[in-house]
Amino acid sequence: MSHSDGPAVQEPRAQQAEMQRLTVQNSPVAGTTRRPSSVSLLGSELKQLFRRRRTQAMLLALAAIPVVIAVVVRVSSAVPPGRGPAFLDRISQNGLFVAVTAMLVSVPLFLPLTIGVVAGDTIAGEAGLGTLRYLLVAPAGRVRLLLVKYAGAAVFCISAPLAVALAGAGIGWALFPVGPVALLSGDLVEPDEALVRMLLIAAYQAVSLLGLSAIGLFLSTLTDVPVGAMAATIVLSVVSQVLDQLPQLEWLHPWLFTHYWFGFADLLRQPIGWDSFGDNALLQAGYIAVFGALAYGRFVSKDVLS
Amino acid sequence: MTATWLRWTPAVAVPAVIAAGVLAGSLPASARDPLPEKTPAQVLAMIGQHQTKSFSGTVEQSSELGLPDVPQVGPTSGAGTGSLAELLTGPHSARVYVDGPSRARIQVMDRMAERDAVRQGNELWLYNSKDNTATHVTLPANASKESRSHDMPAGVATPEELAAKMLDKLDGSTEVAVAEDTEVAGRTAYNLVLTPRSDVTLVGSVAVAVDGENGMPLSVEVRARGQQEPAFRTAFSTLTLGAPDASLFNFSPPPGASVKELAVPAKPSGTRDLADRNRTRSNPADRDLGSKDQSEKDSAHKDLRGHAPTVTGSGWERIVGIPAHSASARSPESGKQPVDRLLNDPLLRQATVTVEGGRAISTSLVNVLLTDDGRTFVGSVPLERLQAAAAAR
Repeated sequence: MSHSDGPAVQEPRAQQAEMQRLTVQNSPVAGTTRRPSSVSLLGSELKQLFRRRRTQAMLLALAAIPVVIAVVVRVSSAVPPGRGPAFLDRISQNGLFVAVTAMLVSVPLFLPLTIGVVAGDTIAGEAGLGTLRYLLVAPAGRVRLLLVKYAGAAVFCISAPLAVALAGAGIGWALFPVGPVALLSGDLVEPDEALVRMLLIAAYQAVSLLGLSAIGLFLSTLTDVPVGAMAATIVLSVVSQVLDQLPQLEWLHPWLFTHYWFGFADLLRQPIGWDSFGDNALLQAGYIAVFGALAYGRFVSKDVLS
Repeated sequence: MTATWLRWTPAVAVPAVIAAGVLAGSLPASARDPLPEKTPAQVLAMIGQHQTKSFSGTVEQSSELGLPDVPQVGPTSGAGTGSLAELLTGPHSARVYVDGPSRARIQVMDRMAERDAVRQGNELWLYNSKDNTATHVTLPANASKESRSHDMPAGVATPEELAAKMLDKLDGSTEVAVAEDTEVAGRTAYNLVLTPRSDVTLVGSVAVAVDGENGMPLSVEVRARGQQEPAFRTAFSTLTLGAPDASLFNFSPPPGASVKELAVPAKPSGTRDLADRNRTRSNPADRDLGSKDQSEKDSAHKDLRGHAPTVTGSGWERIVGIPAHSASARSPESGKQPVDRLLNDPLLRQATVTVEGGRAISTSLVNVLLTDDGRTFVGSVPLERLQAAAAAR
């Protein structure tokens, strides 16, 4: 991602910001002995997350996917149906398909990549910068810190697919005609309902990524090197997708956190099939519970030296 | 200071709870009231009598025929959705909506794509989202009547008589029994099991689950000899009785779709298809591969006008030999022969192996031998039998 973010350059500034953040939280105005409220903790966490160049760059990169797709389709000749990613041939007829195609394309790699960076950075990033102990000196409590960190990653999980969807709908609107959208079933829905379905797909993808975030959070508690946790999270998402393709491991497939990642096609049918949404949510909840508990066990019993 | 092991307790407890939940969920549901005992003839009669005309449900189909799998990777829609054999590999699920004899919709849910068949009165639409093509068929006006009579030939005999007759006919080659009740789509069902009396056939058994309340067939399972997994299984996973939303049956192709008008075949095969699917959603491709349904086979024979295939053996050991083909060229309106169509399928082409005397496609239920001189032998028997039959002439 962005290279300007190397710890060597960034450390003093980040540390300063961190200290500032902590002093704000502990300032006499807010009450000297009271623990900072969870809301303000989350607020400062989100502020820190979304003010980072890296986070902004990642969201911009995600938003660039539909733009690239739309421009390429616009300048090239008609795409024959059945080639390339699904829906690619529909874009020239209806701009809203840019968003669907882009969301589809970003599922296997781009989204997990960004989530891996954010989730892997949660605890290990603070440890790597040497700010973790300050956070723990502040009377926030380790459990609350863990929860706030996870909530921050979860907010990113929501915003990442949303960035793709909104950029896709916007660029599609600008470059192509927009009209009633043909669903997979062949039925037509009005553009406003199509937008609702697109938001549903974004919600589906956000839910899909929550399990991966929990894994990233746990890996992040294991190390002080954020890059290690990030890479491990991304690698796991790829490994899971590869395992999902091996017919010999069929018994394992429903347990892989990537198994339902492409299931959002059911939201494009008429009537909407909610089964995959429910299955996916249940599976991700299981991953959150398991890896959340692991992260808790690790983080609470960890000796924080940095 | 909490002991370290206490902090790790959740990490152990959560997976344990999940495992316990999964185990509890997978246990067979507590025994319901058992259905009243019935003889096979009574269960068959129930199927004939069933009056379920309106329902919606999801059908899951899985096949373990030993054909190569189609890998589905990445954001492209399912590979080879146009391929017939693709329906015979791997799992598929479809949503079925039926309202009376003349309104039905079937949605085969592929990965990032969907195939639809919508029937509203005499209008039949086929739609494939992958290549965005639609086919329109106008069925003859009397089609729905015909389909009814096909559905229930009760004008000839009462279901009970028919069932008894069928059993009589079957008895020579097949043992028919009612096994322990099963549960399909949350409904208790009779389990009608047909076991071939022959030792030669590849088919181990055919089981049909029949709804204990209304006699509707809920699942069909074909087992092959020496294979743990069912070779072919299609079953409702959810079933709701009652009329589905009427708007589902209004279909017009989306703008941009390429629409093809199809001439009505002399014999409305589309109607028959729908009627069949209403019952068990038997797969057209499955039929082509030689399902053991006698009437289907007979009608397939009639398609090969003037080029009569030979049939050797009887019952489950039957082998159908098709002479070197020329029939398809002679009767273009009947479409290509099913066998031809299947053999030109890229997937099956890939599955053929060279054997003594020709090439063969082996599946766990059916073997096909294509001799070097262009003849085709199909049978649910070991390959050696087919080779023997080919050599005999």
